[in-house]
Amino acid sequence: MSHTDSMSANAHVQHHFVDSEQQFDSAKLGMWLFLVTEVLFFGGLFVAYIVYRAWNPELFTLAATQLDTVMGGINTLVLIGSSLTMALAIRYAQLNDAKKSFWMLGATIAAALVFMVIKYFEYTHKFHLGIFPGEAYTFTGIDHPKAHIFFSIYYMMTGLHGIHVLIGIGLIGWLMVKTKRGAFSAEYYTPVEITGLYWHLVDLIWIFLFPLLYLID
Amino acid sequence: MSGHHIIPMKFLLGTAGALFVLTALTVAVHYIHIPAPFNIIVAIGIAVLKASLVAMFFMGLFWDKKINTIALMLSVVFFVLMVGVTMLDTMFRDKPFGIYDKAPAPPATTSAAP
Repeated sequence: MSHTDSMSANAHVQHHFVDSEQQFDSAKLGMWLFLVTEVLFFGGLFVAYIVYRAWNPELFTLAATQLDTVMGGINTLVLIGSSLTMALAIRYAQLNDAKKSFWMLGATIAAALVFMVIKYFEYTHKFHLGIFPGEAYTFTGIDHPKAHIFFSIYYMMTGLHGIHVLIGIGLIGWLMVKTKRGAFSAEYYTPVEITGLYWHLVDLIWIFLFPLLYLID
Repeated sequence: MSGHHIIPMKFLLGTAGALFVLTALTVAVHYIHIPAPFNIIVAIGIAVLKASLVAMFFMGLFWDKKINTIALMLSVVFFVLMVGVTMLDTMFRDKPFGIYDKAPAPPATTSAAP
């Protein structure tokens, strides 16, 4: 990736692209195709959720009382805020303001860490009660023979989402290093743009997870 | 350089503001306790609206090449297909149509031994 070190406007263009514009559009479409696979990846878990909720509607109402609406709501706001700072990081990269872009990326990571810390407290509280996925489930507070199934789905969905947040933290940290080194400019900021798309998708998935898991009545 | 849309600040702040308000709304609706199928419809409706705002203004699809929107919409179509085809199985396991039986099929779950 040494091409990014050059200050020349078109130094970043690989030889198999016509121009910078075509390279940018190709990278972006490639990222969108990856996001399609991500939607269907989470989609399989949403199918499990829908099937089991259709089979056991009363279980989902009972079990959701064990989830903390306030913590889930705060995490929703935190992720929306991080999406805003990510979008701003792209905007400042487009405006050649590497310093502000760097700090917006930092703010995005800070919000992501807040999200993971809240998630950690939610998980450890449940572990303390004996709410584990699958056979390890020992909690007796929910009067339903299939209570462990709800929490298996809960841990799979929020766990996979949490892994995506951790990967996002890593990617954005890498962007901060590159930004600090002056790799990005109005001419070339593709990694910031497509990491932004990834980060917004992580936010988007949570927008559906929050009402479906925490807000069942 | 040409054609790269720099999203105006007012769109970014406005989108975030709308998302905050809609999050508060979806929690408020939860505490009102709307009766059964409508609570899910309202919750999913608000979530779809929020997701559309994120996709259009944060992800920039509103200004972007339409091929990217088509890709996202295809993922939604195939997700709905996955849900629909799966539920055609899971929702009708106890109720055979009995099209191959001469007599109506007895309920599979009850075994009334004499």
